[in-house]
Amino acid sequence: MNEAEAILMGLRIWGSIGAVVAAIFLTVGMDRIDEDAQGAYVFRPLLIPGVLVIWPLVLWRWYLYESGREHWARRYGPPRRAHFAVGWILPIGICLIILSGLTLRQTWPADIVPVQLSGPAEVRQ
Amino acid sequence: MSVKYIPVQWNPNKYIYDAVMLLGVGLFLYIFLYAAPGILSHERPINPQVHNARAFGACAFMMLTVILCIGPLARLDPRFLPLLYNRRHFGVMTVFVAMTHAGYIVDWYFAFSSSNKYEALLFANTSYGQLAGFPFEAFGIFALFTLILLAATSHDFWMKFLSPPVWKRIHYLIYPAYLSVVAHVSLGILQDQQNHAFTVIFIGGAAAVGVLHLMAALKERRADRALAAEAAEWVPVCDVSEMKDGFAKIKLLANGERVAVYLNDGKLSAISNACAHQNGPLGEGRIIDCLVTCPWHGFQYDVTSGRSPAPFTEKIPTYNLKTEGTRVLVDARANRPGTYVEPVPVPGGVAS
Repeated sequence: MNEAEAILMGLRIWGSIGAVVAAIFLTVGMDRIDEDAQGAYVFRPLLIPGVLVIWPLVLWRWYLYESGREHWARRYGPPRRAHFAVGWILPIGICLIILSGLTLRQTWPADIVPVQLSGPAEVRQ
Repeated sequence: MSVKYIPVQWNPNKYIYDAVMLLGVGLFLYIFLYAAPGILSHERPINPQVHNARAFGACAFMMLTVILCIGPLARLDPRFLPLLYNRRHFGVMTVFVAMTHAGYIVDWYFAFSSSNKYEALLFANTSYGQLAGFPFEAFGIFALFTLILLAATSHDFWMKFLSPPVWKRIHYLIYPAYLSVVAHVSLGILQDQQNHAFTVIFIGGAAAVGVLHLMAALKERRADRALAAEAAEWVPVCDVSEMKDGFAKIKLLANGERVAVYLNDGKLSAISNACAHQNGPLGEGRIIDCLVTCPWHGFQYDVTSGRSPAPFTEKIPTYNLKTEGTRVLVDARANRPGTYVEPVPVPGGVAS
């Protein structure tokens, strides 16, 4: 198995576990922890992709609600300070990336011999 | 704001928003595919598959750029708040456009490999040790996965289940995703672009995102310094004469919480500044009939109890208040969400 196959296999396993979690959580779990979900069924299929992706977090949050460890005060502290970090990182990052791209850019007149930058790609056996 | 969850919350305003958005996407694709295909270097002999891939990719970039401009614009000028109101639908539509771009790419450049096309996508170029010829597809894959994650967790259920701060932290991934898209374009199509109209659009769009975020961050930093309070049991908020009926004064407590203190019919009430939905800034909303409306998505709360009007069930913390002369002081310890607090009469009816 090459690295690409391993990555795809990992994704399949992750998604399969997520599917099991989704089946249990969307049919049993959410009614126990959210009164607004009780009697509401049409919206549940929309949540399946989310559970497939973040199922460990779903299980953790479900545990917090079931065990009563979810503290109400934590719900009202938005991470607003991150705006300041983002305000600097985003413009600096954008400038650096675009400048790198423009610096690397090659014009390719017909009289310049192509140069192979890397070895041939990995080929599946 | 709904009593029971429904798949998609639409109302007349959202229909208009979505219609304008779809029209914009259609117009963009029409221009790039048919009216002025040269903008994407389409004057060169390429097939419809590549033609479509470039148009949808450019469209996804522009949509993401506009989405990321809306947040700082709304923080800089409240007149842009209506654009924030339905940004979720904008984001989901962007994911579909980006997936269409990825579909065209994978089904053309990697579909004729002897191995699985997704495996081919991953191992076709593994020159991760060099910038020239870097596998820019990896940036696109990361950005696409992130956008799918954000769209998949965009339903209101997720905000309540994960809690707004956790949900917000996950959705901050939009920033690395955007940087990733910029890298995807810079190391990808920008290397081969012959018509520089798109180069200008790309650099202009990305620069707008960067500059607007910087401006909004600096403005917010200045405002936070003015709002910040020393650690104390009772924190001074302002003088009653500074308050205006129906509006709030916001105070940033030493523990990082924000309190919105309202003057309503000559009486003072205090609630958390963070809406239960997405932690929107309630203190920037206005009171009508004892209810304050969140400027982000229209959730409403009674300022005396922190409860949404029946049959809605949202609750936010309240705070105790007292006056000393004409000074308003707030108790730094929040009450549990939904706790009724008797409004405090303004001494001598000083306020306007």
